[in-house]
Amino acid sequence: MTDPQVALSMLGIFIVLVFLGFPIAFTLMAMGIMFGYYAFYDEGRMWRAFNRLGEDAGLWEQWSLWVQGFFNNRIFDLFVNQTFTVMSNEVLTAIPLFLFMGYIVERANIVDRLFTTLNIAAKGLPGSMGIAALITCALFATATGIVGAVVTLMGLLALPAMLKARYNTSFAAGIICAGGTLGILIPPSIMLIVYAASSGVSIVRLYAAALYPSLVLVGLYLAYIIGRSIIQPSFAPKPTKEEVPDMPVGQLLWMLATSLFPLAFLILAVLGSILFGLATPTEAASIGALGGIILAIAYRAMTFERLRESVYLTVRTTAMVCWLFVGSYTFSSVFSYLGGEHLISEFVMSFNLTPFQFLIMAQLIIFLLGWPLEWSEIIIIFVPIFLPLLPLFGIDPLFFGILVALNLQTSFLTPPMAMSAYYLKGIAPPEVQLTHIFKGVLPYLGMVFIAMAMMYQFPQIVFSLPEAIYGR
Amino acid sequence: MISYIKFADALSGWFGKAFAWLIILMTAGTSYEVFMRYVLNKPTPWALDVSFIMYGTLFMMGGAYTLSLGGHVRGDFLYRLWKPRTQAWVDLVLYMIFFFPGVTALIFAGWKYAARSWSYAEVSVNSPAGIPIYQFKTIIVAAGILLFIQGIAQVMRCIIAIRNNEWMVAKKDVLETEELLIKQASESKKDDH
Amino acid sequence: APAVLAQAPIQMRMQTSWPAANIWQQFAQNYADRVEAMSGGRISVDVLPAGAIVGAFQVMDACSDGILDAAHSVPPYWYGKSKASSLFGTGPVYGGDAINLLAWFNEGGGDELYRELTQDILGLNVVGRLGYPMPLQPFGWFKGEVNTVADLQGFRYRTVGLAADLLQKMGMSVAQLPGGEIVPAMERGVIDAFEFNNPTSDRQFGAQDVAKNYYLGSYHQATETIEYIFNKDFLDDLDDDLRAIVMHSVEAATLKNIGFALDSYSADLKALVEEDNVILHQTSDEILDAQLQAWTELEAELMAEDPFMKKVLDSQRAWNERTAYYQIMNDGNASTARAYEHVFPGRLNQG
Ligand code: NA
Ligand code: NA
Repeated sequence: MTDPQVALSMLGIFIVLVFLGFPIAFTLMAMGIMFGYYAFYDEGRMWRAFNRLGEDAGLWEQWSLWVQGFFNNRIFDLFVNQTFTVMSNEVLTAIPLFLFMGYIVERANIVDRLFTTLNIAAKGLPGSMGIAALITCALFATATGIVGAVVTLMGLLALPAMLKARYNTSFAAGIICAGGTLGILIPPSIMLIVYAASSGVSIVRLYAAALYPSLVLVGLYLAYIIGRSIIQPSFAPKPTKEEVPDMPVGQLLWMLATSLFPLAFLILAVLGSILFGLATPTEAASIGALGGIILAIAYRAMTFERLRESVYLTVRTTAMVCWLFVGSYTFSSVFSYLGGEHLISEFVMSFNLTPFQFLIMAQLIIFLLGWPLEWSEIIIIFVPIFLPLLPLFGIDPLFFGILVALNLQTSFLTPPMAMSAYYLKGIAPPEVQLTHIFKGVLPYLGMVFIAMAMMYQFPQIVFSLPEAIYGR
Repeated sequence: MISYIKFADALSGWFGKAFAWLIILMTAGTSYEVFMRYVLNKPTPWALDVSFIMYGTLFMMGGAYTLSLGGHVRGDFLYRLWKPRTQAWVDLVLYMIFFFPGVTALIFAGWKYAARSWSYAEVSVNSPAGIPIYQFKTIIVAAGILLFIQGIAQVMRCIIAIRNNEWMVAKKDVLETEELLIKQASESKKDDH
Repeated sequence: APAVLAQAPIQMRMQTSWPAANIWQQFAQNYADRVEAMSGGRISVDVLPAGAIVGAFQVMDACSDGILDAAHSVPPYWYGKSKASSLFGTGPVYGGDAINLLAWFNEGGGDELYRELTQDILGLNVVGRLGYPMPLQPFGWFKGEVNTVADLQGFRYRTVGLAADLLQKMGMSVAQLPGGEIVPAMERGVIDAFEFNNPTSDRQFGAQDVAKNYYLGSYHQATETIEYIFNKDFLDDLDDDLRAIVMHSVEAATLKNIGFALDSYSADLKALVEEDNVILHQTSDEILDAQLQAWTELEAELMAEDPFMKKVLDSQRAWNERTAYYQIMNDGNASTARAYEHVFPGRLNQG
């Protein structure tokens, strides 16, 4: 077997092993080390000292030098070196800060206020509760970036409210699952930081590029909710006065000022300072975390207990994401040392695909990977396989990244690992079945594909903002 | 065995949680830098170095803690359908062939890497502030040792699960919001019956 | 990898500290082509960009450990191990140019000092050579104009090596970043101004997209050269003739790259102005004088701080006193600028 073929079998074996369910970070690490041991195997160099031993060397000396030789493989140095590279990665420093901000905001008792207010504000519109739920999800998800929290909190709050207002079960469940997943897409999202660290694309350009597509997707979701409510009014009956009280405009404005505006301000401050180069993402994230703490104090939701929870959850989630990087950096170094990338390029090029066909194929593979896997594994491990191919097809990695980010919305919604649906099922009343949820989610998958097609047809949706801000 | 598992959980938890508080320092330090840089026009020379050192230390030292709570991401769409005994067998084998070689390498190669850094009192190359990084490189060794200790506990967990067909789960001090809410929901459902 | 056939070429994995799209990647390839051609294919050189195996700043460690057989980099990139690294390129300005520095390395005892630093003091398992001597490096890219030392205060500026210490002395806050990370860092707001090296590299990074004022002429890095690092075991294991090819190809590639760079750098300077609407400035006398003054202070500090640095600086000072004297006296008033001005009157004063 040639080295590149070895690299390919490394990838193949890894994919099989992923399905065995062992923590992926350590699987990657081990595969990197084992195949790296092979890649760097050099008898002459490893056992140099052993081979120079004289005839009269003692048994112990022989044995110990042989063992030293065995461990004298350069893969171990590479592994440590790559670990250090992850540890000193300046882009990834924003991750713990954004997570911390998310965990703090999540505990700031903000969801009920927001939902109640938006419910009243949207009252005149068809599907008003659905609209309020979706916007609450989108805003809250943007500020926290944590899917599970949004879906469960909203599942406890908005789902019963909608069911009580005689909303169709599937329809109501779909809104919450799809809305709660938006947090990984809408900047400042952690997924885009991870893509930036994997691809080398500038994180701020990614944020700028993702903004309009996010709005397009939210717009499509809203259009669907309103349209469906008009076509099938039984899906989303108008709420009664008891369900959603009327409110004088002044009071409504006050409620908006105290619930919607502080959160919106926090998001805009963080995002705006990043996009306009006023602060680095890391700096903005720290200000966001500080702002989150102030917000929580203002809502009288800040206790030491909640701070402690946020701190501990931050370290756990950061460790989860970053150890994945430790594994994947080592893995991909060895993969490229063995020349695996060339072989994949040759293989893909041998099909004579057009750029469009390649794009479809890549996105289809990512969509399918999204069934069993979650976004972090896909972006850290699988997306880098496509990245070296992009220049061959003249595809901008920025554009590709946005398509991937849209695409991965579906990974939370498609079985067997449809985390959003499972979170919702976990807290929903027993009469809400998984089949209801999946049925409700289905139209949103369609919406994601429509959004992706729009990006392809009108790439300016992606490029116009980064070009306007950064000039290229 | 059970007492060792408890010891390892406690040790990993203690280190993970102690270093978790770096996030507060990181928030404060970076916010201070924002103030110095954008308000006073006097950026500090050390902020960049200090922020990555804190980030790196935080996640490295949190690795074993996360492992003790089963928090490292798995491709578990098949795994979770198996009975605990099967899961434990698979885990046991994979811990032996996957986990320990890597973690051992982290300790020994990390030692060599850190020792060299100590020998010339290495500082960060990212700024002229001369922020030392040999202690930071030593974190690799420390994280490796913690993972090794926790790994042994995980192996023992596998053995117990093979025997009892039931996992001995670490006590979680803090639950994710969704975990907490789902747990509460399932408990209230139980109460209804 | 194992099972190497007797006839198979020796694989030499050389990683650079540059992104694949940088002209210096071609510099490294020019070296590789010479090694392959002269060895009749007995050595095959795999030239990889920064990040392919290790990061741009990690190549010294990687060569020492043998993860890489060789690296194509610059000495300030391992300045965290010892500030003395920077003296092999980015150090006090004594009046000589980079060719003079290269001469000091090859003829004036610089190579032995480099060996002492890397092998004896730092315990690194490497052999190093200096190559392509760089033209004086521009002060770099700013969003607005900077005319006085006061204008520089509070900037977070990217440079490397002792130039970082120098500009910190002048009131800037300095970040050292690998070349490939500069423009993203500028977009992220990590830095507000930067220099990298030359019109071609800077343009390839997209410097002109993030700043429009390009300041030429500076003393912060007057004499840098490309650094070739080899794993010592790799060299020792080569047959004598192959080792000679690997080492002498540094010299051969250096001459090739001088011409290659001149052609490319000059074309890109023109394009920066004519196509990208970059405004060229000459760094002001005030800033230049302040740089020289800051070097003098820094030199005194470095000499007091570390006997090895004193040894290197004494050697460079003595060397320059003679050689730069010769260079400058020899040219006298017959400057190249005078001739150019005669042939292309007024051209030098147009942007
Ligand atoms: Na899925
Ligand atoms: Na430079």
